[in-house]
Amino acid sequence: MSKSTAKIGKSYVLASTIISALIIVLVFIILVANSWQAVTEVGWNLFSLRWNAPSDEFGILSMCFGTAIVTLIALVLAVPLGILTAIFTSEMLPSKLRIPVKSLLELLAGIPSIIYGLIGIAFFAIWLQGFFQLQSGRTILTAGFLLAIMILPTIITLVDDALHNIPKQYHEASLGLGLYKYEIIKNTLLPIAKADIYGAILLAFGRALGETMAVMLVIGSIDKIPSPFFDVLSPGQTITSKLGREIAETSFGSVHFSAMIFMGLLLFSLVLVITLIAQRANKKRIRLYE
Amino acid sequence: MNSRKIINGLFMNATRLAFIFCAVVLVFLFGTIIWKGSAAISIEFLTQPTESFGASGGIVYQITGSILMIITTALITFPIALGTAIYRSEYLKNPRAQNIADTLIFSLNGIPSVIFGIFGLIFFVNILGTGVSWFVGSIILAMMILPTLVLCAYQSINSIPSIYRESALALGMTKWKVITTVLLPKGVNGAITGLLIGIARAIGETAPIMFIATAFSGVQFPSTLLQPVSALPTHILSLAQQATNPAALQNAWGTSLVLVFLVILFSLSGLLVRLRFKKNNI
Repeated sequence: MSKSTAKIGKSYVLASTIISALIIVLVFIILVANSWQAVTEVGWNLFSLRWNAPSDEFGILSMCFGTAIVTLIALVLAVPLGILTAIFTSEMLPSKLRIPVKSLLELLAGIPSIIYGLIGIAFFAIWLQGFFQLQSGRTILTAGFLLAIMILPTIITLVDDALHNIPKQYHEASLGLGLYKYEIIKNTLLPIAKADIYGAILLAFGRALGETMAVMLVIGSIDKIPSPFFDVLSPGQTITSKLGREIAETSFGSVHFSAMIFMGLLLFSLVLVITLIAQRANKKRIRLYE
Repeated sequence: MNSRKIINGLFMNATRLAFIFCAVVLVFLFGTIIWKGSAAISIEFLTQPTESFGASGGIVYQITGSILMIITTALITFPIALGTAIYRSEYLKNPRAQNIADTLIFSLNGIPSVIFGIFGLIFFVNILGTGVSWFVGSIILAMMILPTLVLCAYQSINSIPSIYRESALALGMTKWKVITTVLLPKGVNGAITGLLIGIARAIGETAPIMFIATAFSGVQFPSTLLQPVSALPTHILSLAQQATNPAALQNAWGTSLVLVFLVILFSLSGLLVRLRFKKNNI
């Protein structure tokens, strides 16, 4: 009796593990299989500029550009701001306040992205429209700005943890050398926390690349690279916003559908590589002396 | 005044400014959601069905739809996560196999939610022919939050000192008996914490379910597994797309407040459960 329960139990835990491990493999296979049609029928023309489904033109470069520039704007705004804020919360904020502030930030990170999107169209888009005298406030810059706010809590919490986990001795030894706080942070704390900070940035990068709902609502959804290309006050399209807007209306099995899945596969692979690099970076920690 | 002192002062003020800016953003975001949302919320709003595409009426079917989906998500993902955590900590001893299993499971965590949506659209709706159904939505959400649960359960099982396992084995228990009597209670606690955190994330997700599980209007409580439901996040999406209509926008804020309330409820209970289990530690 007990022997057979043990057998059933062991096969249950083994089966669970196999299911868990195979999910990502299945997702990958499905994406590859469904983008194959686009790869064979459109070929290198996938990497061109024009996307026009009725005339069978499926160039995904505009969407790739959109994803790249929106993510770039978000990181350029959020990384310095996030690191400075984390330095404040870990080094200057009274320790009584640190935990409440961090909990609030974590709640902020938990707000669903669709609500960020709502705030984006109800406020940011209108502010930008008024400020720059635009026809529509739904632009690449709006999306980048919104995304920066969305990834900010992630960066702050992780960098704050990294700085806070450095043993106090390092701090005290630097203080004993007569250094100013700025010098301690720049020469002692930041170099030690460097690996963790890179990890935080990578994580935020991955999140920004894959963000869909908020970006979809505020980017304006025009499949074009603006001219000149750095004109971020014009509407654009990212891979995620394109998928979110169009995939449900595309018929399964068409080249159009397949080209969309190809974009999804590209995004999937990119995020996967970033996640793996972040995991590796996490393992290689320098040894600290307590 | 030397230059070192000036630079120090400038830097310190820069960090202060950055912090103030973030605090203002935080207050603005929470303030907006609470302020705008509370203007829309009333008993009728929470208990009436939706009328005229969301511009009037309430959100009772969106609330029940979301709750139904996350309960099913929890039922699907919990046993699988617990089993995986037990196998990973008690049976899988080869470091290479451990590494591969970890990489496969935790890579899921970073995958963009829209990718889960298109995977569900291809695999369930088109290949398996389920159609748009809330049950498929639950399966997809379960896949999405699985790594969180596995990690939490694994950490709490792994934190049990080996001496407990050895003592139990010395009493003549079989390995499986040790797992069910000594390790499982702790693992269940960990998995519950993970579940609450995972659900706080799953309930707010729009992209994975909008193609495969939800319909925007005219949906009531589903009577079979294969019917669509209406959910809170997708309802906000459809209202946000009619943002020029002030009544629709008003209801979007009301729905957002309800959703944020649920998210915070699950996150806080996750936190409390974790703290309580820590206190009762062996």
